[in-house]
Amino acid sequence: MSAVITRRTVLAAGTASLLAAPWVARAQANTLRIGMQSILSGPIALLGTSSRNALMMEQDRINAAGGFLGRQIEIVYRDSKGQPQEAARIARELVNSSGCELLIDAEASSASFAVQEVVRSLDVACIHTNSETSSLTADPKIRAPTAFRVARQGVHDAVAGSIYLAEYASAKKLNKWATCSPDYAYGRDTTAQYLQFFKQFKPDLEVITEAWPKLGQPDFTEVITKLIQAKPQALFTLLYAGDLSAFVNQGNIYALFAQMAVATPNVDYPVLAAIKNLPAGIQSATRYLETFPDTPANKEWGQAYFKKWNERPTNWSWQNTVAMQFYEQAIKKANALGGKALAAALTGMKINTPFGVDGTITMRDDHTTIGYAIGWGQTIPKEPFIVDVKAADWGKIIELETEWKKQQKYI
Amino acid sequence: MKSNGRSGTRETAIAAVALLIVLVVPFVHRSPAFEDFVIRLSAMALFATSLNLLVGNTGMVSFGHGMFYGLGAYAFALMMQMTELSLPVAAMLAVLFTTLAALCVGAICVRLSTDYFAFITLAFQMLIYSVIISWQSLTGGDQGLRGGLPRREIFGFDLASQLHLYQCCAVVAVLGLLALRHISASPFGQTLRMIRDNESRTGFLGVVLWRARLWAFTIAGGFAGLGGVLAALFVSGAYPELADWPNSGQAIFAVMLGGINSFLGPVLGAAMLLALNDVVARVTEYQGLVLGIVILIFALGLRRGVLDFFRVAWSKDSQ
Repeated sequence: MSAVITRRTVLAAGTASLLAAPWVARAQANTLRIGMQSILSGPIALLGTSSRNALMMEQDRINAAGGFLGRQIEIVYRDSKGQPQEAARIARELVNSSGCELLIDAEASSASFAVQEVVRSLDVACIHTNSETSSLTADPKIRAPTAFRVARQGVHDAVAGSIYLAEYASAKKLNKWATCSPDYAYGRDTTAQYLQFFKQFKPDLEVITEAWPKLGQPDFTEVITKLIQAKPQALFTLLYAGDLSAFVNQGNIYALFAQMAVATPNVDYPVLAAIKNLPAGIQSATRYLETFPDTPANKEWGQAYFKKWNERPTNWSWQNTVAMQFYEQAIKKANALGGKALAAALTGMKINTPFGVDGTITMRDDHTTIGYAIGWGQTIPKEPFIVDVKAADWGKIIELETEWKKQQKYI
Repeated sequence: MKSNGRSGTRETAIAAVALLIVLVVPFVHRSPAFEDFVIRLSAMALFATSLNLLVGNTGMVSFGHGMFYGLGAYAFALMMQMTELSLPVAAMLAVLFTTLAALCVGAICVRLSTDYFAFITLAFQMLIYSVIISWQSLTGGDQGLRGGLPRREIFGFDLASQLHLYQCCAVVAVLGLLALRHISASPFGQTLRMIRDNESRTGFLGVVLWRARLWAFTIAGGFAGLGGVLAALFVSGAYPELADWPNSGQAIFAVMLGGINSFLGPVLGAAMLLALNDVVARVTEYQGLVLGIVILIFALGLRRGVLDFFRVAWSKDSQ
């Protein structure tokens, strides 16, 4: 072979590589674009912008550390207004026209399903960061080969919440419950799911009244009086965001919180900020809390976010942060950006992150994350707002999730 | 007015040339964004043009036309998910279903005067929308019909491929528009315009007004359903937003923006609306504000749809 390599060949190759060097360097210096779409306008734009804020912080951090595969990253943001048709169009536009090589789908519920179908037809990796609807990844017919979820999953929260509430209800002898949840698919399905598990752990549970206010309803008087008249011992509510703060503010006027115990999984920092007098003793899950997990890394991130944006992060903020951390590790491992290569790297990957209950979060084989912090505690009117937080038992969550998957015929 | 035969041939020729150009583009230059645009425009153009059969031709302003667009999308997506029917059969049945729905709704609405007609179409749309939201076991409620559509191959065409979907939508849209054009230019179309201009005189001529209106309403509903089928193919599912009233508003915008007195006005309006949306979405989150200002400029500046404006300007020049 050595006979073939002449001085001329070496010279030619050397010249060629010298000439090519700037091109290779330029290609490597090309910015890597990552498409992000979310709800950035309308009544729940706050959640979309809190996702964008978190991603902007991640972009700075990753670029300071040298970017992905030596390329600086640039996240391209688009507003879908939460409309599925627009979400599908934007996902395709981000990849096909804007040159995005990775996708962060920060859409809620139905729009994320529309994006899922677009991703299925493109060889591009996508991480859903906000959709909590379990079937997105749990149903093998809906799961897409290169799409993953880094977010809470409805069934995980339902199991964790029900275990905590069953213990709480038994200790306080609370058998008569009322429910008050938004009147649409999320509210009705998730309430049913909580009650199913709740009754499994506390068979003598009795639901004596149900209230279904409309989404965005400004006046809860009718709902509050109905609940008070039914005289339940405790109330479970899935109201969230502006609805929850309006309900609590109006409930305070009727002294609702003095007449029954209240439990909700949906308390987030912006809700706390919008409530004038947060009643003490509401049983509440932690969507995101600086003090849970109570680690320096979590506190540091929460405070850095507050310092930069002058508002506190939401649940959506940490989920988007973790998505970028997963991309970072997967790209290092796969040394590639292609959908299939990244999918192989992401599946089963475990990363260190402040938002894991034990400092780690794992991407399971069914393309969804486990091990993230789920805790329940009780509210107090001042910081840290939720205290006595108990971490959920992930062993139990997975056991019951598996049962649920069998019931749904997903496995 | 030229004879129907001659103008029909000319229009078919124009449609064939337009279709040929659209089909050739991907072979010269592949642009996924352009192809997506054409797919969405196909759906929207059929939707808006069918509405103009009511608004421009018959003088019936329907605020609930989106219900047929949504029904077409749901009927098609449900048949694709729940049965083994081939894609064209499912599409045809979906259009048939929407046409029947339009016939039923129309039978109640068309006898009412203009204002009440507008209100009752809106009421029906809200009813249909509420049914879609509430019938969760069938429609998936507000989460929509998820899980994608099985893309069964038709005659070697795989609609999961963007190019094939583009070609299919372009052909369907051009044929659909051509059919609508023929309807509009036919004696039946002339009758509708007579009703619009003077319904008492048309009645005295022996035309049964409600029957002609009902036909127009039913045909328009059917074509809106066809638009809905294309929309369902694009999003691989069906979502309640497709049947909601802002969607009807989009079609009315397209008709007003493009021009109600020109057959291709709604197509141009739909193209402008989609293009504006795409450009504005890249630049700002205040899309509604920008779109509103642009539409206001057109409405106040031109005082009619764009194509109508140019037609009037053209005929003034030639005089």
